Amino acid sequence: MDVKSAITRARRGLREERRLYVVAVTSLAVAFICLGATLLGVTNLDAAATRWGQSGRITLFLKDDADPQDIAQLRVVLEGLADVDEVTHVTPTQARESFLEEADVGADLSSLPSEVFPASLEVALVQGVTRERSESIAMRLTQFRAVSDVESYGSWFQKLDNLLWGARMLAAGLAVLVMFCVVAVIGNTIRLAVARRRQEIEVMKLCGATNGFVRGPFVLEGMFQGFASSLLAILALLAGYLALHDSVDSTLAALTGSRVVFLGAWTLVAMLLGGAVIGAVGSAVSVRRYLAV
Amino acid sequence: MQGTKVVRPFPFFRAGQRASQPQLAKPILVLEDVYKFFRPDQPTLRGVDLSVERGEFVFITGPSGAGKSTLLKLVYRELRVDEGRVLFCGRDIARLTDKSIPFLRRNLGIVFQDFRIIDHWTVFENVAVALEIVSMPQRLIRSRVAEALERVGLAGRGPEQTSNLSGGEQQRVAVARAIVPEPALILADEPTGNLDPHLAIDILTLFEEINATGTTVLFATHDHSLISKRDHRLISIDDGRVSEAQQGLKHWQGSSGIHTLVG
Repeated sequence: MDVKSAITRARRGLREERRLYVVAVTSLAVAFICLGATLLGVTNLDAAATRWGQSGRITLFLKDDADPQDIAQLRVVLEGLADVDEVTHVTPTQARESFLEEADVGADLSSLPSEVFPASLEVALVQGVTRERSESIAMRLTQFRAVSDVESYGSWFQKLDNLLWGARMLAAGLAVLVMFCVVAVIGNTIRLAVARRRQEIEVMKLCGATNGFVRGPFVLEGMFQGFASSLLAILALLAGYLALHDSVDSTLAALTGSRVVFLGAWTLVAMLLGGAVIGAVGSAVSVRRYLAV
Repeated sequence: MQGTKVVRPFPFFRAGQRASQPQLAKPILVLEDVYKFFRPDQPTLRGVDLSVERGEFVFITGPSGAGKSTLLKLVYRELRVDEGRVLFCGRDIARLTDKSIPFLRRNLGIVFQDFRIIDHWTVFENVAVALEIVSMPQRLIRSRVAEALERVGLAGRGPEQTSNLSGGEQQRVAVARAIVPEPALILADEPTGNLDPHLAIDILTLFEEINATGTTVLFATHDHSLISKRDHRLISIDDGRVSEAQQGLKHWQGSSGIHTLVG
């Protein structure tokens, strides 16, 4: 296939059928936006999970009648562990103050009983400590006399994992759906274009054009549609991201401690290339049946 | 090193290459006992035997529905014979694979009654398409198209939109497209059917000029006035059978009358 000639003919086809292609690209962009938005959700959940996983911490809730010597001894043990970065003693008063300062729920919580805020040791683990290691340390710390309960946030991580798994499945399902959508829309668009250009195809075939020569520009047109749709979707998502970034970022930072991130470079490349490839395939499949002259 | 040899049918249609001597010695087109059925009990062509030498101008005539177009379609392999053989340059067209058919058609120039030119393309684009498919360089395409347009009397009309041309001019564009790759054989299927009588003579003359340069022409028509004006070899198809006269109607020895002959 002469690529230069195919490009020239594809450009002419795009020019002649521009209205049809604008409608198709817009429809496909909506599908790609759905996929991109889901991927954006997955990316941010992933980022939050990674951040939480990396900045592991354990909270040791102390008994109300714990001996200060036992607490001091516990601190020494903890600070001696290679996996521990920092240990902070939080008194019930500090816990109450901190909670009242952070919890902006619009109700008067100052009358909450003191046992709601037990004393604790906040243990910050060093970067890179695995979740299993964190669980193992937490398990051993329950044996200390001064400790009433240990929170290693394992259940939170489990919930986050479940959420991430669900989001990934949703993204995968959407990706398959979008793929079918792209193949169907591009296939139908190309079919319409082929129907309109049937005489051209017939003339070319009677002049001795090979199937590859006839198919070439249609495949390029399909490829362009897929690429343009995904590019349009990425630009729309980026615009939305930039517009909402400031307001969403502070809320997310307060809730999860992580920042909002946009789709990674490889995800963007995959979306663009995926769109182009699916477009080309959809086009090649739909034009095949019109080649018998 | 022994590389894989790519065998293409009709390899002589390549820039700078000509048919070999053995190929030149053979008739360009031979039909041997050809049958074509569209209905099992009623063949459109029955036992057609025909041989066309290089450089001949042959009228193919007969009433509407006699099988003129069918015969031409068998040559450019839009249809496949049911029985018999169609040999183009000694090769059996019926045995070509689908992938080889484009290479057959690159050796043929085909002109139709309804012109089959693309309205929204320019004259140049309509003619150039026959060379673009063989990946000819643009510079060469420009000069070859200009030359072809000059031969059909449309010199300098390349940039014009074909939809703005008259019927006769549109047919000239179709003829230019057919001759621009310098094919071995031109198949004209009722090329004057949609034209006024004086334009029909112009187009016939154009084909004769093309034939004078050595190109073989098969000119299918049922127009008696055209056939009677020329002394070319005449092949008549009637009821699926072929009869012929070597020098036009004057030498016609067929059993049927002229009106039966041309419909």
